[in-house]
Amino acid sequence: MNKSRSFKIVAAALSMAVVLSACGGNGGNTGQPAPSGSPDAAAGGNAPAKPGQVKELSLFIDASWYPVTEWKGPVADMITEKTGVKLKVTVATDDKQLPLMIASGDLPDLVFTSSNIDRLSDSKLSYSWNELIEKYAPDFKIDKTRIAIHTMDDGKFYTVRNSFATQEEMKNSKYSLGSDGNPGIAVREDILKELGNPPIKTLDDFVKVLGMVKEKYPEMVPLIMDKDWIEQYFLAQFGTETLLDGWYEQDGKVEYAIRQPKMLDFFKFMNSLYRNGYILAENFALANDQIDDQYATGGKAFAHSHTVSTADTDNIKIKSNQGNFSFKMLPSVLSKDAKVVSSGLGFSGTFITKKNKDPEASIKFLQYLASDEGKKLTMFGVEGVHWTWNEEGHPDFKYNPSDADFVNSNGIKWWYLYNDGVTEGMLSYVPELQKTQALMELKAVRIYKPELGLIQTQPDSQEKTIKTKIDEMVKNEKVKIYLAESEEAAVAAYENMLKNAENIGLQKLTDWANATYQKKKELFK
Amino acid sequence: MELETQPRSLGTGGGRRSILWKRFKKQKVLHLFVGLGMIYLLIFAYTPMFGILMAFKDYSISSGIKGIFTSDWVGLRYFDEFVHDYQFGKLVRNTLVLSLLKVIFAFPAPILLAIMLNEVKHMAFKRFVQTISYLPHFISWVVVVGVSYAFLSADVGVVNKALMAMGFTDEPLAFLTSPNYFWGLAVGSAVWKEMGWWTIIFLAAISGISPSQYEAAEIDGAGRLARIRYITLPGMKGTIVVVLVLTIGSILGGGLVGSNFEQAYLLGNSINNPTSEIVQTYAFRVGLSDGRFSYAAAIDLIQSVISVALIFSSNYIAKRVSGSSLF
Repeated sequence: MNKSRSFKIVAAALSMAVVLSACGGNGGNTGQPAPSGSPDAAAGGNAPAKPGQVKELSLFIDASWYPVTEWKGPVADMITEKTGVKLKVTVATDDKQLPLMIASGDLPDLVFTSSNIDRLSDSKLSYSWNELIEKYAPDFKIDKTRIAIHTMDDGKFYTVRNSFATQEEMKNSKYSLGSDGNPGIAVREDILKELGNPPIKTLDDFVKVLGMVKEKYPEMVPLIMDKDWIEQYFLAQFGTETLLDGWYEQDGKVEYAIRQPKMLDFFKFMNSLYRNGYILAENFALANDQIDDQYATGGKAFAHSHTVSTADTDNIKIKSNQGNFSFKMLPSVLSKDAKVVSSGLGFSGTFITKKNKDPEASIKFLQYLASDEGKKLTMFGVEGVHWTWNEEGHPDFKYNPSDADFVNSNGIKWWYLYNDGVTEGMLSYVPELQKTQALMELKAVRIYKPELGLIQTQPDSQEKTIKTKIDEMVKNEKVKIYLAESEEAAVAAYENMLKNAENIGLQKLTDWANATYQKKKELFK
Repeated sequence: MELETQPRSLGTGGGRRSILWKRFKKQKVLHLFVGLGMIYLLIFAYTPMFGILMAFKDYSISSGIKGIFTSDWVGLRYFDEFVHDYQFGKLVRNTLVLSLLKVIFAFPAPILLAIMLNEVKHMAFKRFVQTISYLPHFISWVVVVGVSYAFLSADVGVVNKALMAMGFTDEPLAFLTSPNYFWGLAVGSAVWKEMGWWTIIFLAAISGISPSQYEAAEIDGAGRLARIRYITLPGMKGTIVVVLVLTIGSILGGGLVGSNFEQAYLLGNSINNPTSEIVQTYAFRVGLSDGRFSYAAAIDLIQSVISVALIFSSNYIAKRVSGSSLF
């Protein structure tokens, strides 16, 4: 009796488990590829999706700071409506996560990355766009320059970066100014006033003002810098034509950044900022990119080095905290040497991985984002709701594009898995904003040399190893220069850095870079 | 083990086998435990070792697991590269210094605490101290480092505020961002976090000492310090030696308090890098960030060889000096 009863209980439990696991199985099935789109959808990929046909693709965003983490908001909804695709988004916890995923073969359907473009441009890891376009989206047209930039040694291209525009394209688009991703420094307006509004027309003027702040407001940090925007503004003022890990060109030959003669002046300048107590040593060890914002908006810093939109974004935050001060941008050009060379090939690109369960839907999804309608929808928001088109050739916004909270919560801009620098540059054209002014100044001194950006090391190559080692070394050694106790010590540390680079193989790398440069230059002729 | 189950000779084979079988059946639960442990080691410790091969090969991650066997041999190229790296000296020095400091300071700490706790006669207080001291063991390093920022940061840290308020220093001390403080910070926080946990094993050793020895010593007029010296410490000797051998075996990982990697990775930054970068973090960086698995494998292999050499030599020395050893 007892036995049969317990048998019944076990049987009941078992059957329940079976039912439950069946449910689980069904749940899992919703992630399976749905039958591919109707013929209408194939034609251009922007036919409205029928309800129930929405496909979910997984997307990994290789940028831990990414402001949108979920596929929601009016822009995302509209894209889903147009393409029948929605995304299940994962944002990286750190920069090691994607390399780890590649190593373990655990890749999602789509990957959006900037630092692992080389590595994912590999036929073993990703589908090439040539193949997918030919097969599924023959009318997806991409211009020659972009294809040339992204074509690997195997003759195929695996992604196209966003945020890229050629010099021509930028010249032809008066209202496209460039993205937020340009360096800028904002200073406290009220304190400047209390100091008697000293003019800031040169770098020396700026340093003098920092000194006045230090003297009059000893509690304050004269200059706080975002951890990722420490060097850029000053490098531009010194006219180095490159950041610390790039190439610059002179008389037809390329050289590595740290060998640029003006680099030493830049390092001495940074070191003097530290020795005078205008910047904090801790600034070079900030664990995240929020700390500098807290200094600035909390009233603990006079100047804030970040991007061209710093003043606008800081002011919005200060206002919402009921602060009674405001920031204004320094001129983008503070020296006659100032020069900005754009060797950029764009920011990030989307990869359709070999684990993708629906490559057809994926390439069509990107095709929609690449259409004029798609680009504007992603970058500006929903037409009529967020913006209207001005006949002059730019959008008139119904919101402030520098209001990060509004932009992020509505999913504006950040779904630019495919876009271009011209469209993105228009997001900055808001006549009343400070950033617009800063970007216009920058546009005036900007030179385009994308052929420099094409000096890219191939994955697993010897050059890549050398370059990575040098960059890693520079990352460690530059801090020693910045924080040197005297100018002599700074110069010695700089020379030591050069010597290290040479020992690692800088000359070999430079020779290789020159050979590559000569070859790639032809692409732009 | 297998050797023993083999019959020595045909004549007595049958009898021996049945005796062994009987004994095995009697101990089957114990064998089950041992078996599970061995299966675990086989799967998670021995099987992955084939990956060591890649240290000698020109391996690329895109060739998958198969690539470990199919890629070209390069001999000792990666070993050579590491030894000639401009950071080699710094990395080895930092690893050794950090490890040695941990042995010197972190190894005696739980022994001392155990002896002191043993002398405490107030049971409630003893339990209270014991609990408080071993709880940090359960906090992860990520959390410990996060908390340490609140305490030690030069700008907002409580410790600096207190030091300045009490007039010990005019300028805040850059605990987290100066190469001068990293080793102290790492050793101090490791001792704080793990001391209480290791005290448990030493207290267990002490409780195994017969109380009659203490009574006899007291009658003979031994004071408290003499009792500790002549009874408690000799009673703990076996445990101390075993723990010491284990510590030295894992010395490059931080010894008994471990966590060299976690500390160097989480507390390290570009300013304290001259003292905080160690071999493991370097291998992690080049291996994962740069995807150079062969090179990283070679670096770690060098370290493993050193560790194995250390454990054998310390075991040998322990056997010679004290008579007790691990194997």
